[in-house]
Amino acid sequence: MNIFELSFLSGVLTATAPVLLAALGGLICQVAGVFNIALEGQLLWGAFTAVVVSDVTGSAWTGVAGAIAATVLFSGMLSAASVGLRADPIVVAVGLNLLALGLTGFLMRRIFGSGGTYSSPELAGLPTLAELGLDVPVLGPQSPLVPLALALVVAAAWWLGRTRSGLRVRAVGQHREAAEAAGLRVGAYRHGVVLVAGALCGLAGAQLALGNVTLFSEGMSAGRGWIAVVAVMLSGVLPYRLLLACLLFGFAEAVGFRLQGARLPQQAADAAPYVITLFALVLAAVAARRRPKEAS
Amino acid sequence: MSVPAAELVGVSKRFGPVLANDGIDLAVARGEVHAVVGENGAGKSTLMSILYGLHRPDSGHVLRAGERIRLRSPADGIRHGLGMVHQRFRLFPGLTVAENIVIGAEPVARGRVDQETAHRAVADLSAKYGLRADPAAQVGGLPVGVRQRVEILRALYRQAEVLILDEPTAVLTPAEAGRLFEVLRTVAATGVAILLVTHKLTEVLAASDRVTVLRQGRVTGRFATADTSADELVHAMIGRSLAAPEPRRRSKPDGDPALAVRDLTVHDADGVPRLSGVSFAVRPGEIVGIAGVAGSGQRELLDTVTGLRSPGRTGQVLLDGAPVVQGRDPRVAYVPEDRHGRATAPEMSLAENLLMGEQHRLATRFGLPRKTVRARAEQLTERFAISAASVDVPITALSGGNAQKAVLARELTRQSRVIVVEEPTQGVDVGVRERVHALLVAARDQGGAILLQSSELSELRELSDRVLVLFEGRLVAEFDADATEERLGQAMTGVLP
Amino acid sequence: MTRSLNEPRVLDLARRAALSAAVPAIGGALALTTLVMLAVGVNPADAYPALIRGAVADGNLEYTIAAFVPTLGMALAFALPLRAGEFNLGGDGQMAAGGIAAAALALAVPLPPVLAVVLPLLVAALAGGLVAALAAPLSTRLRVPAIVGTLLISAPAVSLASYLVRFPLAEQGSGIAQTPVLPDAAHLPALGGSGYVTLGLPLVVALTGIWLYADGRTVLGYEMRARGHNPEFARYGGVHVDRLAGYALAGGGAFAGLVGGLIVLGPPYRFVDGALTAPGYTFTAVAAVLLAASRPLAVPVAVALLTVLQVGGQGMEREAGVPSQLTQIVQGLIIVIVAVLATVRRRAAE
Repeated sequence: MNIFELSFLSGVLTATAPVLLAALGGLICQVAGVFNIALEGQLLWGAFTAVVVSDVTGSAWTGVAGAIAATVLFSGMLSAASVGLRADPIVVAVGLNLLALGLTGFLMRRIFGSGGTYSSPELAGLPTLAELGLDVPVLGPQSPLVPLALALVVAAAWWLGRTRSGLRVRAVGQHREAAEAAGLRVGAYRHGVVLVAGALCGLAGAQLALGNVTLFSEGMSAGRGWIAVVAVMLSGVLPYRLLLACLLFGFAEAVGFRLQGARLPQQAADAAPYVITLFALVLAAVAARRRPKEAS
Repeated sequence: MSVPAAELVGVSKRFGPVLANDGIDLAVARGEVHAVVGENGAGKSTLMSILYGLHRPDSGHVLRAGERIRLRSPADGIRHGLGMVHQRFRLFPGLTVAENIVIGAEPVARGRVDQETAHRAVADLSAKYGLRADPAAQVGGLPVGVRQRVEILRALYRQAEVLILDEPTAVLTPAEAGRLFEVLRTVAATGVAILLVTHKLTEVLAASDRVTVLRQGRVTGRFATADTSADELVHAMIGRSLAAPEPRRRSKPDGDPALAVRDLTVHDADGVPRLSGVSFAVRPGEIVGIAGVAGSGQRELLDTVTGLRSPGRTGQVLLDGAPVVQGRDPRVAYVPEDRHGRATAPEMSLAENLLMGEQHRLATRFGLPRKTVRARAEQLTERFAISAASVDVPITALSGGNAQKAVLARELTRQSRVIVVEEPTQGVDVGVRERVHALLVAARDQGGAILLQSSELSELRELSDRVLVLFEGRLVAEFDADATEERLGQAMTGVLP
Repeated sequence: MTRSLNEPRVLDLARRAALSAAVPAIGGALALTTLVMLAVGVNPADAYPALIRGAVADGNLEYTIAAFVPTLGMALAFALPLRAGEFNLGGDGQMAAGGIAAAALALAVPLPPVLAVVLPLLVAALAGGLVAALAAPLSTRLRVPAIVGTLLISAPAVSLASYLVRFPLAEQGSGIAQTPVLPDAAHLPALGGSGYVTLGLPLVVALTGIWLYADGRTVLGYEMRARGHNPEFARYGGVHVDRLAGYALAGGGAFAGLVGGLIVLGPPYRFVDGALTAPGYTFTAVAAVLLAASRPLAVPVAVALLTVLQVGGQGMEREAGVPSQLTQIVQGLIIVIVAVLATVRRRAAE
């Protein structure tokens, strides 16, 4: 295995993209003071709706749009319950993750007639950049959503750091009462970020099911939403650090994928991203304890 | 008189069983400083919150320059030219001074917040009113006095024509308070109407033009400051004249120190010293007060003495000659300031809140018998006159005063000689305050060694046998009980007497 | 002030039950479920009877009771740490660790009767407890919430168990990923000639009783609840809050591990890869505990209800062709509705 091969780097990006998109959603929620651990469910729902819409319309891009719309709707439940009615966001998220699992399994059987995995020649996947005429190394085999995800990191950093609404979102997350007293509409900003996170998870799901592969299988988010939650924790709510955390995960998954070819059992590949994420988490926390300030 | 800048008409507001405001009328004119006074719980803060749009009245309405306005949120209040400086500052610690001031009306250029314009605007306002603050500084690290200026600047930046200040001097030294009043005069001179909420009569007499007095949610007096006296205001505030203070009964402390602190230095997580070389002793039978502006090291001192804080510490804390136990020393009784965050678990029952610390003593071989737990709670409830429907109700259902009595009941019955008390009467009414003071004095007379921290100088002077002053983490002065507030204030700001 | 223990108390309990979050939550979830059915063209008049028959008729009751045991055990695995303020969502990994540990011991060491059952169960509890306890220092020292830590640790634990059953512990010559059948002495005795229900039922019920007692009437239970309500209050009161988090998570994990052991030592008396986690005991239990809404006595009742729903769902799938994932939908909705009702009620009380 040569991790300096271009195809390996490409594999890292492929594995990173869905997690990164979901994690960006988690990050902006975190900045606004909403602890969003429903990313797993939102990602799964996004993947499923992307496949359904693409399958029905025969257009992958309609699938992407459908996934965004459907996942924003799904996130509406989180924002209505935990922002609007101020229910415990953790409990609500646990419920929504379960709901997404049940809904996708249920609807899959009703729509496609069977559980497990669905794929079909009719199901249109996203084109690669190479197919669109942009045959560059590493990015060539990726869907356009991958460079979009990278661009969104830059956009998020700019938005949060420089713009008026970004400043207000940060303010809302720092001190709810202060934001209210300053005349900011706290609820509106919090609803907003949860819905935007929904759109990002829709993109993430579409990339997972129409970009990384072209199929849907039950529970295919496979913990990526949780990894995204951890990435947000590792990031210190800084978008560029979030990118690093997600790349680490992508690297772990790509290594795991290669290991499978190298006579190691699949279970090792399955466990690799979690184990590496846990290690990163522990190392980051230990480092943060060593030099407590500096970062802030 | 011309049309008032703002007017509250027949405002009533009920919180559960409490009628916080009962048909209140209040008008404030342009250019005047109007004091709103009353005891804790008289309804001042509620009334001001209604005027600013934080609460909605159950009945009554608000007029602004003669026009009836509807306030659904502070955003509406700001839009109608109202500004408020809160008792507990409403600032964003992670943002800069300039960002805190312009937020909600940020200057924008090419899609971004225009930091340069914002900084200039803040600098201009600072200079105009003599409110010094560095626009680029992060608010999180600023002293309270500066934070208060940021709140005032924010209101002025938003072009407030009615400025409400809720207990603005609670966090200030007497000298800082004096400077604040000068600033308020300057602001009022530009035509702004100022509402000054306070319970300190000296301030009212020194700084205001007119006074409205509230008691139990109603207006009980309206005066022109020049034509009134402290006695008249007190009568309106509490419905009777204040009895001449009883001569304080001093007890003679004796014996070896129950609490000895030697050369204590505490660093915070960032390595910044919060306490430096602090040494003192508290003997049985005395109350030692701790004075200081907020953030002078009181928190670190009390957390170290009680054992709750361990890292970053050098020096000794001795209880009856033996070092303090880390975690929470069971030999210390401790009444914390933060009633909901630390002193109680709000959703647990009164009985279970009264149990904390005694659970091991009450346990039998078969666990913790409910009967014993309830019986003890009922006994304490009766002895300390805690009014509650039953000991099974969650403690959050009790009034602030009763919850505080419950905390005192629990801690004073621990049979600890060393008693640490923090802001014992914050947010309780005058009756409970007297009761709490009597309990503390009784504990002292029974040989308690009491360390008392309070931000109310009058309370410190009333209760303490000695007052120690903390300034930037050092003990800078020690006074006996007769020290004036002025001298205490000077010591608190580092101007040594 | 004191309330008598007689009739009014019973009436009071009944009134509180009716007003509690459970009734509207279940009602709301059922209403939404009915809407889901109608939306996808299923006739509720066919589906609900099929669901009930699937849970209680034609000998299915026995199967429902058999499923009640692991679900109740997993409910304890979630509820015990929750009382101390820690979310344990890693039940799957803890259960798999317990199951594989029990199977390994029973296969590797020939033990005399009784011990052959008791020791593997103890080892299972130990293994589950250890896996869960790993999340405690993450939570208390490194500020990684237990909800994230337990879940992250769970996935590799499941993978490890899966690896062990496929390679070192695999039954030779079988196409299925499973261990050989455990020796006879390690089989949990069946209860009254039942094919599914074993001694695990009384065991788990007894443990539930012990937990209820410990929660309400011991120092440990009191301190855990204090930590759960307000950790700073507990710390201020001299409770070792960090140590307590470790005990709570380890205790929860031990229940989960024990459930894994009970499944492996019950029919078909072997560890089959995926058989522990596939029925979704972990999240059915989470839903049940949240439905019980911090009333410990209501936990077994909520578990019974959701077990009926879960098992009945499979009957509904067979009879009426409604995918059994419908029950997951209902559970998810119940959790969300309970969370919403809890805040609405608290705000109404203020």
